[in-house]
Amino acid sequence: MPNTKIITEYWGKIDPLKIEDYIAVGGYQALEKFVAGRDAKAALEEIKKSGLCGRGGAGFPTGSKLGMVAGAKNKVRYFICNVDESEPGTYKDREIVDNNPHLLLEGIAITSLIIGAKKAFIYLNGNYRKEEEILEKALEQAKEKKFWGGKILKSGYKLDIEIFSGAGAYICGEETALLNSIEGKRGEPRMRPPYPTEKGLFGKPTAVNNAETVANIPWIILNGGERYSQIDPKKSPGTKLYILGGAVKNCGVIEASLGITLRELIFELGGGMARGKEFWFAQIGGASGRLATVKDLDIILSYDRAAEFPLGSGAVLVVDKTTEIQDLLLSWASFFRRESCGKCVPCREGTFRLWEIAKRMQDGEISDRDKEALDDILWTLDNTCFCPLGKFAAVAFKDALKNFSKEIYKNAINNQ
Amino acid sequence: MKIYSIPNLRNNKKMNFISIEKILLEFDPKADNLLPALKKISEAFGYISEKEAQKTASYFSLTLTQVFETASFYDLINVKKQPALSIKVCSGTNCTFDGCQKVIKEIENFFHIKEGDDFNPNVKLKTMSCLGRCGEGPIVVINGNVYTRVTASGVDDILKNYV
Repeated sequence: MPNTKIITEYWGKIDPLKIEDYIAVGGYQALEKFVAGRDAKAALEEIKKSGLCGRGGAGFPTGSKLGMVAGAKNKVRYFICNVDESEPGTYKDREIVDNNPHLLLEGIAITSLIIGAKKAFIYLNGNYRKEEEILEKALEQAKEKKFWGGKILKSGYKLDIEIFSGAGAYICGEETALLNSIEGKRGEPRMRPPYPTEKGLFGKPTAVNNAETVANIPWIILNGGERYSQIDPKKSPGTKLYILGGAVKNCGVIEASLGITLRELIFELGGGMARGKEFWFAQIGGASGRLATVKDLDIILSYDRAAEFPLGSGAVLVVDKTTEIQDLLLSWASFFRRESCGKCVPCREGTFRLWEIAKRMQDGEISDRDKEALDDILWTLDNTCFCPLGKFAAVAFKDALKNFSKEIYKNAINNQ
Repeated sequence: MKIYSIPNLRNNKKMNFISIEKILLEFDPKADNLLPALKKISEAFGYISEKEAQKTASYFSLTLTQVFETASFYDLINVKKQPALSIKVCSGTNCTFDGCQKVIKEIENFFHIKEGDDFNPNVKLKTMSCLGRCGEGPIVVINGNVYTRVTASGVDDILKNYV
């Protein structure tokens, strides 16, 4: 089933602000099915069978995460839908909310009921003002129709959904930092273990799932996990929203099955390179992603732990030769310098020094001392940081230095 | 190409007096309401001064340091008085690809400032990572008004509205 569309099927065909439109195309049937069956265990089994992996970047199996919370001793549990995407180049969750907010709400309702949570939060990026309004409106409509609130669809289920708008911090997309942020603290990541599935929000078991993951759940409940696992059964099954940007013809969000190659994504689904542009490299997974050059075009995009090029959030930025690599280096470095939370020294200082060097690179004032320091900084960032942010800061830089050192030091050589 | 503007509560202040107490009473004094409350106060007053922070702290039964600790962390909450004109430009990878560096240079030349410095007390130019309209870059936000697909040649026309 290579052309199955799960999330984007009704995009543009229904009015996102009208719940009737969504119901007319079969919306909320999965919730009805689940409430009629009242079997959370069977639903959980379906999700486990589907092999659905977290779509936020890490690719943790969703079934096992939900299972951990559902099996927790504490009866007070929380469910959080993570819509705090601020990775540069990633806007799939925004498009989900923009085009079909009820799909997301249905997923949230089902998932919360499966794990037995009475309260669910939607953690929204603080800059998504328009999306906040859409969600508020959608929540209101869904409550009227009894899809959440007290006595869902005349059953005994209860669920309260609240929108929590963030305040603009990239690190709050990390689940433990997100929890701190809801608790009114600094959005700094927590030490793990204990994992959020044991001690999460306010010390209670909490499941944090990405919006795209949640949006897949109604389909799985309705069609069964078996069918879902057949969409590209090789490694990680299912479809994925890829976000194409840069020098390709069709930029934007594209839904395709996992397991396609980078070449297929760019040259078939993306319509090829934009006119007059020549492929140089592609960055896979936002600012923290690795760089794939021409020889890597046949890599398979999937949530495989052993994959050489992690898919991350699914953002693919295609870069052509007209782009100044120094600008990109500065962009990566300044992004991580700004977003480093300051909790651990290697990340706070390392990202700052990296930014300083990137600034000098742009001005063409790079010295031999900087070149030596670079290796040191990148090693430290890669190996000693508290959370993955520091590690991510080094990824793209390292790849760029390895593959394009000639272009990077071009200005410096001219100056000497 | 203005697409969306964030409601500016500061301008409404003259017509409709906003007091810190009024804002605080909208929220229950629970931990998960602290961040939304701080955001609202910062939006209404432009920034959170010690006076407001103290009142927030006593309302939420926290210490002043705890309130400042949270407030100082987030981009959308200011703890210092903001200049009359605050310009934010996205410098994420996609915006960089679309040419945000040229836009930044144009703005720097227009006001004779540098990104991040305080030489002009009335204007501040900052680069940010996510301004919420990714994929429509380069993005410029001036005093809460969001401009998408800004070109280097179009910068002057936008800035003229603010001087």
